[in-house]
Amino acid sequence: MTAPVRSAASLRPEQVELACRFGSLSLPHPIMTASGCFAYGDKFAPFFDLRRIAGLSTKGISPRPRPGNPLPRICETAAGMLNSIGLENVGAQAFLSEKLPWLAELGISVWVNFFGEDMDSYVECARMLDAGHDRGIDVLEMNISCPNIKKGGIEFGTVPAVAHELTKRCVQATRIPIVVKLSPNAADLPAMAQAVAEAGAVGVSLINTITGMAIDVRTRQPRLATTYGGLSGPAIKPIALRMIHQVHRAMPQLPICGMGGITTGEDALEFLMAGASCVQVGTANFAQPAIGPSIRDELRDLMAELGIARPADVIGCIRPVPPEPAWASEAPEPGSAS
Amino acid sequence: MVTPSPSQFRARVVDTRALVGGYFVLSMEGPAQPAPLAAVIPGQFVMLRGEWGRDPINPRAFSVLDSDGDGRFSVMLKAYGRGTARLCAMRSGEPVTVTGPLGQGTFVSPSAHGPTQLLVAGGVGLPPLHLQARRAAAAGLASRVELLYGGRDRDDLVLLTDFEGWGVRMHLATEDGSLGDRGFVTVPLQRRLQAAADAGEALQILACGPTPMLRAVRAMGLRHHVPTFLCLEEEMACGFGVCLGCAVPVYGDKPYEYCCTEGPVFEARRVRWS
Ligand SMILES: Cc1cc2nc3c(=O)[nH]c(=O)nc-3n(C[C@H](O)[C@H](O)[C@H](O)COP(=O)(O)OP(=O)(O)OC[C@H]3O[C@@H](n4cnc5c(N)ncnc54)[C@H](O)[C@@H]3O)c2cc1C
Ligand SMILES: Cc1cc2nc3c(=O)[nH]c(=O)nc-3n(C[C@H](O)[C@H](O)[C@H](O)COP(=O)(O)O)c2cc1C
Ligand code: FES
Repeated sequence: MTAPVRSAASLRPEQVELACRFGSLSLPHPIMTASGCFAYGDKFAPFFDLRRIAGLSTKGISPRPRPGNPLPRICETAAGMLNSIGLENVGAQAFLSEKLPWLAELGISVWVNFFGEDMDSYVECARMLDAGHDRGIDVLEMNISCPNIKKGGIEFGTVPAVAHELTKRCVQATRIPIVVKLSPNAADLPAMAQAVAEAGAVGVSLINTITGMAIDVRTRQPRLATTYGGLSGPAIKPIALRMIHQVHRAMPQLPICGMGGITTGEDALEFLMAGASCVQVGTANFAQPAIGPSIRDELRDLMAELGIARPADVIGCIRPVPPEPAWASEAPEPGSAS
Repeated sequence: MVTPSPSQFRARVVDTRALVGGYFVLSMEGPAQPAPLAAVIPGQFVMLRGEWGRDPINPRAFSVLDSDGDGRFSVMLKAYGRGTARLCAMRSGEPVTVTGPLGQGTFVSPSAHGPTQLLVAGGVGLPPLHLQARRAAAAGLASRVELLYGGRDRDDLVLLTDFEGWGVRMHLATEDGSLGDRGFVTVPLQRRLQAAADAGEALQILACGPTPMLRAVRAMGLRHHVPTFLCLEEEMACGFGVCLGCAVPVYGDKPYEYCCTEGPVFEARRVRWS
C-alpha cells in the first residue's frame, strides 16, 4: 500500500482557491456542463442559478437546423446510456438570435459546440458563429466525433491529417478560439491531439461518447433505431481517464477539458489528476439538474481534506505505482537492503 | 396552459400499498409549503429515483396518481425492469429524489355541457385517468366521464372501488373473460362508440396504457371521428426537454415533438403512427 500524499495538512474549505485556467481562459472553478446534456442552458434555470457553474457547452450547432433521428433514440445500459439523438439543433442563426443573448447575460463561460455535415459546412458554421465573438461566446468547441451523422463524420474524428485540415480551416474562419472535441473512437488520441493543436486549436475536449450497441433479445432488434449509438455515463469513466492521461502525457502544455461519467467531486479530482484543466458533466445532469454546483462543492471539500490549495497544483500530478522488489525463490535476510 | 415550473426535491416514502396483480401504490411526502405538486394536472408526471448509486443512472417517469396541498403524493407502478423493481421494493422512510411536475400537454377537464369523456385505460396507464376521474367527481362532473378499462384477468384491474365510490360508470374487459367483456378494452370501446354514433352523442377519448392498446384506440377514434387524446410513454432520460430522447413522431411543422415537454398527452390525429 502506498501512503496517501498530503501536499500539506488539511485545509478549511474556504482556504481552497478553486479558480483555474484553461489556456488563456480564466474560470472561477473547474466544473462546466457538457454538450447535449444541458440544451442551451435555459431548461435548467428553474432548478438552479446557472452562475454557480463555471460554464457550459451548448447542444451541437450546425449551419442550419437539423431534425433528429427516428425512435428509439436512447436506451439505458449498465451505469450509463446509449444515445442516437442525431444532433438535432436549432441551427446557427436561431442560436445566435434566440439563445445566445440570454446565455451571454449570465456571465459564465459559453462554449458553443458545433459541427457540420462536411468540411465546408464545418467552416461555414465557424464563420456564422464568429458573429458571437464579441457577444459572449468564449470558445467554439468543434465536435469531430459525430457517431450519429452518417455522412463523412468518421474520418474527421479518426484520421489525424483530416482533423488537422478541418481544424486549420475552421481556425481561419473565426476569431473565437477553437477547442476540438476528440473522438474516443480514434486509434491514436495523442496523434489526433497533436494534429489539431498544430492546426491552431487552443485545447481539446475529451471524451465524447463511445460507439456501442444494445439488443432486445425478445424482438431480435437493436434497442436503438440506428443500431449503434454513443455510450455515456459512469460506465465510460475509466476509458476517459486513460485517454486524458495519454494525451496529457504526450502534450503536457495542451489544455484538456475532461469529461466522461463524472458524477461526484472525487470523479472531477481524478480527471484533474489525469491531466484535465477543467471538466464537463454530461449525463449526470439528467437525473440531477443541479449536480454541477454540488460537484463543485464536493470538489472543494475534498481538496480541503487532502490539503490541495488550487486545481493547478494537481493537474496531471499522478505518480506511478512504485515497483515491487524483484522476485527470488528465497526471501532476503532481514536487515539486508531491499 | 401555463403550468408551474418544475423543481427537484427530496421526498420520503410514507406508504407502500400492494394491490392485486403485482401493482403497487407508492405514497411519498415532500415539502409542504409550497407543495410542488399541489396543482398537478392529470397527465403530468414526475421523475423518481431512489438512492441507488450510479446504476441505473437515470430516473424513471411516473404519472401522478394523486397529490394534495400538504406535500403528499402517490404513483402507481408495477415491477417491470431495473428501476421499477427498486421502487417497488422501497420501504417507508426511504428517501426519493423527485423532479416535477413535468409535462405541458395534459388532459382537458370535462365540462357540464361538453362531450362525455371516455377514459380508456390499460395496465400502468390507469393513474392519469384515475386522477382525471377523481377531479371530475370532485367538481360534481362524475357523470361526464366513463372508465373503459382492460387487462389480462380480473387481478389486472385495480382501484375499481375508487371509481365506484365516485359514481363513475365503468366498462371493463379482460382477456380471459374473468371480469367484464372477454377481450381487449377495444371491445367495450367499439360498443360505446357505436351507441354514441346511433344516439348522436358527442364524445372525447382520453387514453393511457400499453402502446399496442393506444394504437388500437387511436385507429378506432379516427375511424369514428371522435377527438382522441393519447397519454404516451417514451423512454426518458431527463424528463425536462434536454436529452431529446423522448421524441414522438408527429405530423405538422416539424417531424418530432417531445413527450416530456410538449406531451405526454398528444392529439391522436397528430401522432405519426402507421
Ligand atoms: C410520461 C410517463 C408516465 C409513466 N407513468 C407510469 C406509471 O404511472 N406507472 C408505471 O408503472 N410506469 C409508468 N411509466 C413507465 C415507467 O417509467 C417505465 O415502466 C419505466 O421507465 C421502465 O423502467 P424500468 O426500470 O422498470 O425498466 P428498464 O429496466 O429501464 O427497462 C426495461 C425495458 O423497458 C424499456 N423501457 C424503459 N422505459 C420505457 C418506457 N417508458 N416505455 C417503453 N419502454 C421502456 C427499456 O428499453 C427496456 O427494454 C411512465 C412513463 C412515461 C414516459
Ligand atoms: C443525449 C446526449 C447528447 C449529446 N450530444 C452531444 C453533442 O451534441 N455534441 C457533443 O460534442 N457531445 C454530445 N454528447 C456527449 C457529451 O457532451 C459527453 O462528451 C459525453 O456524454 C461523456 O460525458 P458524460 O459521461 O458525463 O455524459 C451528448 C451526450 C448525450 C448523453
Ligand atoms: S426525456 Fe429528455 S427530452 Fe424528454
